[in-house]
Amino acid sequence: MLQFYEPQQDYGTPEAVAGAPVQLSIDGRIVSVPEGTSVMRAAFEAGVKVPRLCATDSLQAFGSCRVCLVEIDGMKGYPASCTTAVQAGMVVRTQTDQLARLRRNVMELYISDHPLDCLTCPTNGDCELQDTAGELGLREVRYGFAGANHLHAPKDTSNPYFTFDASKCIVCSRCVRACEETQGTFALTIQGRGFESSVSAGQDESFMDSECVSCGACVKACPTASLTEVSIIEHGKPEHSVVTTCAYCGVGCAFRADLKGATVVRMTPHNDGKANEGHACVKGRFAFGYATHSDRIASPMIRDSIDEPWRLVTWDEAIAYTAARFRAIQQQHGRNSIGAISSSRCTNEEVYLVQKLVRAGFGNNNIDTCARVCHSPTGYGLKTTLGESAGTQAFASVAQTDVVLVMGSNPTEAHPVFGSRLKKRLREGARLIVIDPRGIELVDAPHIRADYHLAVNPGANVAVLNAMAHVIVSEGLHDETFIRERCDSEQFAHWLAFIRDPRHAPEQLETDTGVASHLLREAARLFATGGNAAIYYGLGVTEHSQGSTAVMAIANLAMLTGNIGREGVGVNPMRGQNNVQGSCDMGSFPHELPGYRHLSDTATRTLFEREWNVVLDPEPGMRIPNMFDAALDGEFRGLYCQGEDVAQSDPNTQHIQAALAALDCLVVQDIFLNETAKFAHVFLPGSSFLEKNGTFTNAERRISPVRKVMQALAGKEDWEVTQDLANAMGCPMSYAHPSEIMDEIARLTPTFHGVSYARLDELGSIQWPCNDRARDGTPIMHVDEFVRGKGFFALTEYVATEERANRRFPLLLTTGRILSQYNVGAQTRRTANSSWHGEDTLEIHPHDAEERGVKGGDWVGVQSRVGNTVLRAQVSERVKPGVVYTTFHHPVSGANVITTDNSDWATNCPEYKVTAVQVSRVTEPSAWQARQRQFDRRQQKLLETAAPG
Amino acid sequence: MSRQIEQLVKMANQIALNVAAGQDEVIVARETAAHIRKFWTPAMRRQLLDFRRAGGAVAPAVAIALAALDNTDSNRSDTQ
Repeated sequence: MLQFYEPQQDYGTPEAVAGAPVQLSIDGRIVSVPEGTSVMRAAFEAGVKVPRLCATDSLQAFGSCRVCLVEIDGMKGYPASCTTAVQAGMVVRTQTDQLARLRRNVMELYISDHPLDCLTCPTNGDCELQDTAGELGLREVRYGFAGANHLHAPKDTSNPYFTFDASKCIVCSRCVRACEETQGTFALTIQGRGFESSVSAGQDESFMDSECVSCGACVKACPTASLTEVSIIEHGKPEHSVVTTCAYCGVGCAFRADLKGATVVRMTPHNDGKANEGHACVKGRFAFGYATHSDRIASPMIRDSIDEPWRLVTWDEAIAYTAARFRAIQQQHGRNSIGAISSSRCTNEEVYLVQKLVRAGFGNNNIDTCARVCHSPTGYGLKTTLGESAGTQAFASVAQTDVVLVMGSNPTEAHPVFGSRLKKRLREGARLIVIDPRGIELVDAPHIRADYHLAVNPGANVAVLNAMAHVIVSEGLHDETFIRERCDSEQFAHWLAFIRDPRHAPEQLETDTGVASHLLREAARLFATGGNAAIYYGLGVTEHSQGSTAVMAIANLAMLTGNIGREGVGVNPMRGQNNVQGSCDMGSFPHELPGYRHLSDTATRTLFEREWNVVLDPEPGMRIPNMFDAALDGEFRGLYCQGEDVAQSDPNTQHIQAALAALDCLVVQDIFLNETAKFAHVFLPGSSFLEKNGTFTNAERRISPVRKVMQALAGKEDWEVTQDLANAMGCPMSYAHPSEIMDEIARLTPTFHGVSYARLDELGSIQWPCNDRARDGTPIMHVDEFVRGKGFFALTEYVATEERANRRFPLLLTTGRILSQYNVGAQTRRTANSSWHGEDTLEIHPHDAEERGVKGGDWVGVQSRVGNTVLRAQVSERVKPGVVYTTFHHPVSGANVITTDNSDWATNCPEYKVTAVQVSRVTEPSAWQARQRQFDRRQQKLLETAAPG
Repeated sequence: MSRQIEQLVKMANQIALNVAAGQDEVIVARETAAHIRKFWTPAMRRQLLDFRRAGGAVAPAVAIALAALDNTDSNRSDTQ
């Protein structure tokens, strides 16, 4: 929504938790607010702004600046309106001559130690100190600058995204409190006392050297120019803003893109965004520069062979070339010889169109999405047990949780804004169980310590979950009433007999799980008896040979303890990328149409056939790994890959590369020449999230608008490119705007019937299902009954993975993510985020390192059954002996050269989290890395020499 | 054995091992067949059936499942 730039509305203090209404008078206006509301906030509600400096509505009132003083009948002195709660019948005056004098005197003192350089200050016109001085009518400062002051205090410019100018600091503590209350990192403090007081990062370190995670909460909270974005210093105050949705992780934060003309000068977390409520992380807040990076490709390109230079062509030529080659392949090798992979980084409308192109244009169902390699087990497991392939809660639900179970998820790194919410709840006293082979931050963070960290052996998740269920059942801690009323009783009886078997006892499974049985028993008891219990899980659950089984075991635990269908509980899959939920919702899997309806369902198929005017194939198409296997056998020859980098992100890289090289026609649509595109014959330049309209759906089923803030660099939004390709292939599409695509989705998908761009504008965002039964959406699912009717307790036998450590490969490698980088790093590596993580490293326990003579910083070879690579070692007790860990954000690391083809039995989601390896000191890169560097140089050269042709 | 067949055998055996673990072989075979029917392409099913017909080894429950699939797929192709 285009709007001229205005600072976001600030009520001064947080909203009170709904209490009984209290009526009072403020400057003669009668206002009614909930009990617990501050006088400052009540005044704002009444249309009266009380001047303030240390107060902001994202932080608890502090009462230090003494600018918000008011007069209240019957109260002595001049109480601070921010820390004074309303009382019935209170009579408040915010504007009197005496108050004006007091405030002006206070303000005068502030300004006496503040540089008077407003005209050259980067926040001139967007500064609360300046505004407040104006509001108070300050006309002179009587004290001069001759005395001691802080006007020459040094600047800290260590952080690439913001500077700290101590000379402009008024020591209001908003930054310190934001770091504590909003972010939960506690990196900032006020050091010294009285006149010597100053903001300090860490132990008097620079911001960059401190524990600061660069979330930007302090910058947003700062009322002066003390903490200012570098981009604002460079460009100045924005002149207009557009509200949109972040394109990084599955939290789906709402942002205001602040612009000067067509240049984004700042991404400000949107206070009204329901997923993030005004908070952000270092990626969404600052790492948007990739959108205008010089590596962006602005012209379509084609080539007949990957050994030839690229030819720059027009859109028409590229589309015609692609259509002709795809049709020729189909004529020669059959209808099923081509397919597509869509991306969870793209919008709902884009992925919907790609699957439509495949089903209606290609005439097959060879469409798959990157969710195949992350959360496909969530879809299978939750659909089987609960009836819907989605999480059950809104993020805000965690505020009502008493026991949090985090399993195979690292929220503070991978979903940082939710991580901050979670940490807040934990600081308030919620109990915490972490099940993870690695000591993630939540295990031991400032003011947080997990009650139980079950450091499970990689691959033994199902054993742990079964053991927990066994303890709960054998000790009679399950919720019989919930189970009787809400679940399939026959199946529960069946499951009960299964889980009661002594083979599931923690003691019996201790060798497999690596978890002390007494700890597991205590954790199970806490989960069952500690009040509202909620489960948050991630790829550490799904990316296993029993990923789907583990998801079902999680759902079983929630049903067993009655922790589903209300606030504070539930099953919450933490989606990796921004639109994993949406891409799955939109029918991107080869066996189902939008809304998770299987192709074999004639009624559903007929619905789509009528809308699209085609006959649909009722048989499932190929999954991503099937496509690659078939490519190597010569049966699959053409691939349209939109926004996905399978050559880096998918397992067993050498296998993937061989499959890509075997294709007759690989079409890549992306914003950069990614690793996959180096094998491509057609490159269709994509548009970043800032260049298009559409919607993303986050991990809480929240559909949020993505709004175009700048023109598409290559002239077309991604949905337009797919539409052009469809038309060229004889599959007519004539959408004028993505809203029309959403209208079609809504017509065809019962859970989306009530969704439209107009409703999204009205509500800001909508959690599906949204239809006649839930017109404003559904924050909590399965409230009165499960989507499938009765909850289904699936039998979850533990079957050990085939991927086991032995004498040759004695360590188990598990992979994960880091805060500053995102997925394959294509975006974040092209920003200053690489300052924090310039390379992937191998975490190894000190004992394992010592055994191998490895020291921190050494190059080590990591050899698995399928390949080897070389990484730099990082000796760390975060991993336990026998386990090593790495990330996959840099292509040269080759993390997926090591990972295997093993996959989840139900969905083929790769088993990224368990790879048996050996680690040894080396002195040179692996053979694959050497080949890869050579290949990369060759492809970069071919790109640089691209010419019109 | 091509890599593709190798993978299909591995996938089918893995499905049989997990889909109804601990239950009677008839149930395991039935669930395995249903799973393969629901998620595999006809070409993948056909390849595994051909492999089996040629004497290829699969888990016992998969062998039963494939026999059932052979019937249903044959019936379907007869009627199409």
